[in-house]
Amino acid sequence: MSATLKQGLSEEVVRDLSATRDEPEWLLERRLDALSALDDLDLPDVIQTPGRRWTNLTDLSFEQLVDPLNQSDETERVTAEGVEVLDFETALDEHEDLLREEFGATLDPQSNYLTALSAALFTTGTLIYVPEGVDAEDVKIRTEMRSDSLFSHTLVVTEESASVTILEAIGDEGPTADDEGRYFSNLVEVAAGKNSNVQFGSLQNLSEDAYCYTLKHGVAADDATVDWIEGNFGTQITRSDVETELDGEGSESQIVGAFFGHEDQHFDVNARVWHNAEHTTADLVTRGVLDDTARSVYEGVQDVGRDAWDTSSYQRENTLMLSDDSEADASPKLIIKNHDTEASHSATVGQVDQQDLFYMNSRGISPRQARNMLVEGFFVPVLEEIAVEEFRDDVQDLVHERLD
Amino acid sequence: MSSDQDHLQQTDTEERFDFKKDSEAAYAAEKGLTEDTIHAISDDKDEPDWMRERRLRALKQFQAMPMPTDWPGQPDLSEVEIDEIVPYIRPDIDTRGGVEDWTDLPDDIKDTFDKLGIPEAEKNALSGVGAQYESEVVYQNMRERWEDKGVVFMNMDQAVQEHPELVKEHFMTDCVPPSDNKFAALHGAIWSGGSFVYVPEDVTVDMPVQAYFRMNSEGMGQFEHTLIIAEEGSEVHYIEGCSAPKYSAFNLHSGGVEVYVGENAHVQYSTVQNWSKNTYNLNTKRALVEQEGRMEWISGSMGSKATMLYPSTVLKGRGASDNHITIAFAGEGQDIDTGAKVYHNAPDTKSTIESKSISKDGGRTNYRGLVHIADGAENSSTAVECDALMFDNESTSDTMPYMEINESKVDVAHEATVGKIGDEDIFYLQTRGLDDDDAKQMIVSGFIEPITEELPIEYAVELNRLVELEMEGSLG
Repeated sequence: MSATLKQGLSEEVVRDLSATRDEPEWLLERRLDALSALDDLDLPDVIQTPGRRWTNLTDLSFEQLVDPLNQSDETERVTAEGVEVLDFETALDEHEDLLREEFGATLDPQSNYLTALSAALFTTGTLIYVPEGVDAEDVKIRTEMRSDSLFSHTLVVTEESASVTILEAIGDEGPTADDEGRYFSNLVEVAAGKNSNVQFGSLQNLSEDAYCYTLKHGVAADDATVDWIEGNFGTQITRSDVETELDGEGSESQIVGAFFGHEDQHFDVNARVWHNAEHTTADLVTRGVLDDTARSVYEGVQDVGRDAWDTSSYQRENTLMLSDDSEADASPKLIIKNHDTEASHSATVGQVDQQDLFYMNSRGISPRQARNMLVEGFFVPVLEEIAVEEFRDDVQDLVHERLD
Repeated sequence: MSSDQDHLQQTDTEERFDFKKDSEAAYAAEKGLTEDTIHAISDDKDEPDWMRERRLRALKQFQAMPMPTDWPGQPDLSEVEIDEIVPYIRPDIDTRGGVEDWTDLPDDIKDTFDKLGIPEAEKNALSGVGAQYESEVVYQNMRERWEDKGVVFMNMDQAVQEHPELVKEHFMTDCVPPSDNKFAALHGAIWSGGSFVYVPEDVTVDMPVQAYFRMNSEGMGQFEHTLIIAEEGSEVHYIEGCSAPKYSAFNLHSGGVEVYVGENAHVQYSTVQNWSKNTYNLNTKRALVEQEGRMEWISGSMGSKATMLYPSTVLKGRGASDNHITIAFAGEGQDIDTGAKVYHNAPDTKSTIESKSISKDGGRTNYRGLVHIADGAENSSTAVECDALMFDNESTSDTMPYMEINESKVDVAHEATVGKIGDEDIFYLQTRGLDDDDAKQMIVSGFIEPITEELPIEYAVELNRLVELEMEGSLG
């Protein structure tokens, strides 16, 4: 692979970027490692069925939007008592050792071409550090993108028996003037210590000329819980991968997804969990609505390893189609290597229930209003899982907005 | 009926699967695959030019296509060396196209089939038997009353000679063209034997038509072709059984099955596959279903080293329907990658897929399935259900369904569960006086019952015996 970027992609550009940010040598080295790995890395795998590659990343020209030295964002960080919520520069000043140890330790920057590009060029990001025993709620990070391209890296570290709920919201200042759109790359890694508890909610509502790639990867230690909530409403094309490795005994993960596509939007949404230890539990729940000519691709993977005795693993995916021209692809996969497992998955695709509509019409509710109520109701199982109230309201508002 | 079962149950199963006969072949193609091989096959069969042309074209396609290697988690095919396969071996008997009477068969061949219980099944329940020994159908029989109604059941090679128009129109054209996949192309080049079934308009064949395929020469591939044409309003149940003796060198089986289901017609295709544990079983099976027609695939995959088999149905006409029932059993060293493909290309079409798999002793089963609902296929519905049972911690059970939906007025549901054999169930059965092995066997029999109840009694018995045999191997 080679990139055609606005300013070209060279060692010099990366050195320049690192120097203006006054970064330590080890971070520059890591950027350069990622840069030199680019040539050998491929784009993330996408679902292929006979005659169709569902998300064609190779043909996208988003790379032309990438302008490494002109990244800009406006980010508001709301912390909670006992938690360190720091932008990357401050984190380097105050917790350099922690960053050096944990940065890129959970999420391999060389997972694929897009992660390596992100690791080489990121300019914004947040460290959320929750010390032992701290129980915190409602950490918020609101990012507004101000440039044609932005690479962000967020690291969450929770010490033993710590607990935190986080909301990350991503938006921009509106469609770009030249109609070319933007590219937002968002890597998030969560290292959950023993018996700690993390809920990381992400709400992406970029303009509909934007492209977004996000990989969120968490590792749970003994008895730890890593929960993800992934909401996608904006962009023309989003590729989202949300993953948890259950490495510790008794660890748990829930991955909740919600998307609502309309017009020509395309969502490629993936949820994966690896059961690597005994007594682990996972629950994957994704609900999506498609209107107009929107498309969705979903892959869910539950991988139960040879040593994962006493595993419970569940997966549900439901897609609601509001338009005849929308398209959906769903592939819930089970890979089971330990027989002491209780696993199930299910997926459905359908339209608004005609009987429900008829009933509501007979009660004097107009067809349009009835449909909207049913769509809002469709998202309830997902909303119920969201711990941050503000996040829940935001998702509800976005669904409501889209239905009008 | 009970006496037949008794007979089959008494058959020593180990003996049934472990014997092998000395091969006395009249003609064995040179190893390797070239145009010369194709000409040799075609000459030996005295085929018309159009069939020879089709074989040569398929060979070109085969040579041009790469081996499939990029499917997620697919079985390892690196040991499949096409050149090592002797594609065509004809048993050394005088009669071409089969003999009329069972007693005319050479003793050793008869012996082989006797051990498999073929004559009993044929005599008592089946309306016709085409038994394939090596690559040629050596035994053909069709009850007179079906022939009077215009039903044709014959060796595929014979059909090329006797029903050229029907074969020309339907043989690897619309249903499974050689370009479909590499092994379909290979099949198109060197196919041999198999069955041709033609059921005229409004005729119902109310006893199952059966064919039995076996491989009996080391290093030999089997490439039989089955073509079933069910005209408007007709009905037929075709059964294919496969079993092979155990060999050390690998075998390749790459069969082709094409089914044309006419308007309002109903075809059921049942198969119990028990290739020996060194066979690569790479088949292409497909049905095209017209308006209001119905296709049913009932498949049991027990044997082989690796199986890649996804019977597919194209629902072409309004109101057409499909039903898949599959069971896969993978023991030590086996990789059974099987499933179903259904294309909903017309409104009001329905499909149901029910898959059951059992893995033990390090075996791997995978359900790999695709349901495609085309734009405009309104009011289509599909329900997929996969259940997997795992015996131990060396085994693997995967489920990889794909659903492609291009139409909103549909009802699509997929469900899957994986679990181990319930300790409580075993405990309960033990308190009723069953030992551990019998309890497990009983649970497995219950698990696969939805499949066995769809099969005629002889096949249900055979399937149960095969499962029993597999279970004995591990639990004894």
